[in-house]
Amino acid sequence: MKNEKLKLISEEGIRIDGRKLEELRPLRIEIGVLDKSDGSAYVELGKTKIFAAVFGPREVHPKHLALPDRAILNCRYHMTSFSVDERKPLGMTRREIELSKVIREALESVVFLEEFPRTSIDVYVEVIQADGGTRTAGLTAASLALAEAGIPMADLVAAVAVGKVEGHLVLDLCDIEDKYGEADMPIAMAPRLNSIVLLQLNGRLTKEEFRKALELAKKGIMEIYQKQRDALRKKYSEVSLMEV
Amino acid sequence: MPLYFSEREIVLPGQLLSDDSKRSGEGTYVLGSRVYASTLGFATVKNDKVCVIPFKGAYNPQPGDKVIGIVIDVKPNGFEVSLGRHLTATIRIPDKKEVQALNLKVGEVIYAFVKESGLRGVFLEGGEKIKKITSGLLVSMHPSKIPRLIGRRGSMINMIKKETGCDMIVGRNGLIVIRGPSPTNEFAAVSAIKLVEKEAHSQGLTERVENLIKSILGGGVESEE
Repeated sequence: MKNEKLKLISEEGIRIDGRKLEELRPLRIEIGVLDKSDGSAYVELGKTKIFAAVFGPREVHPKHLALPDRAILNCRYHMTSFSVDERKPLGMTRREIELSKVIREALESVVFLEEFPRTSIDVYVEVIQADGGTRTAGLTAASLALAEAGIPMADLVAAVAVGKVEGHLVLDLCDIEDKYGEADMPIAMAPRLNSIVLLQLNGRLTKEEFRKALELAKKGIMEIYQKQRDALRKKYSEVSLMEV
Repeated sequence: MPLYFSEREIVLPGQLLSDDSKRSGEGTYVLGSRVYASTLGFATVKNDKVCVIPFKGAYNPQPGDKVIGIVIDVKPNGFEVSLGRHLTATIRIPDKKEVQALNLKVGEVIYAFVKESGLRGVFLEGGEKIKKITSGLLVSMHPSKIPRLIGRRGSMINMIKKETGCDMIVGRNGLIVIRGPSPTNEFAAVSAIKLVEKEAHSQGLTERVENLIKSILGGGVESEE
């Protein structure tokens, strides 16, 4: 048994968690879940569970970091110590610092920072349970939290990972597929602007595969984007009856 | 020119609103020659401009707004005033004597008008338009909920004032000063404000606020007996 190689995709094209090749994990989105934040969102993508909270615009600390013409965007991507199988030590690891940076840069490309000079907007992405695709689900949650906080932005950001597992292109990799697969490519887009705001690639893809993977990701992103919009609309659907 | 929304429809960031770039108003942005929503809120047309009324968000000072601020610095030619959250406003008074005449100290609360707001910061009107607030209870609330607290033509705020018997000064920046005949009445007013803040988007709020105040004030009388 032990020597037998783990089969990630069956002959019928069913993946290890029972999904088809081009199928997303079940996605659940909730908006406005944290009282103390200005905006917050909870995203559950299969077993990946993430909270995102936005604070601000607020005063910059330390003050010398403030910019005279626009706000600064701070982002902290953090995995709780109980989010993975083996306890992750507290504090920011190299990986978390890097992901904070790529998430920040992805969000910077849609947020109108120039509307709040001399302030900071702080985004906290907290991974409660990790099962692959945390940076993408984190970005999805962070953009919803920003929208709920009422921060002006050009578009929402939706993100998903595509990858190659046992020679097949698959959408939305889970942890095992990420670890034992051949390639993993997280992609984030501002769908309305049709611009890619994050693209990383771990592993190898041929040119043709890359092109196909990008198309596949776009399909997944549009699906997530639709669910993001539905979630935001649902949250405020009762409001429309009110005169504010 | 067509509009791509119905009046008071909920719009999301990035949603297409109009093809006419000249009609871009508050809460929107122009890309190419089209107008898109930049914030989450209601889409509406104001003065022939397409606008989005946000549900939430930072207070953006507009000239003429009445605000409540706390003096945080006294300078030879004016004052620095904190408007809560991230905002700091400046009052510039060219005449030194006038500065002294106002006799404001750090920590004192004032009621003032916004004169100018832009890249250089927020400026308040100086001189006689500044009112010093000497007593009362200072409470803060999310600035985006202030219109709801005031209500349509002041219906909500007038009801709270009448029911609690408190005098209330509301700053557009989210600070509110309450002065009442007794701590119980003031407590009722604060509770009412907190309820408005929590349930700003629900229907029949005025009634519930009224009931809350009555239950608090009624309860107060009973406990005294």
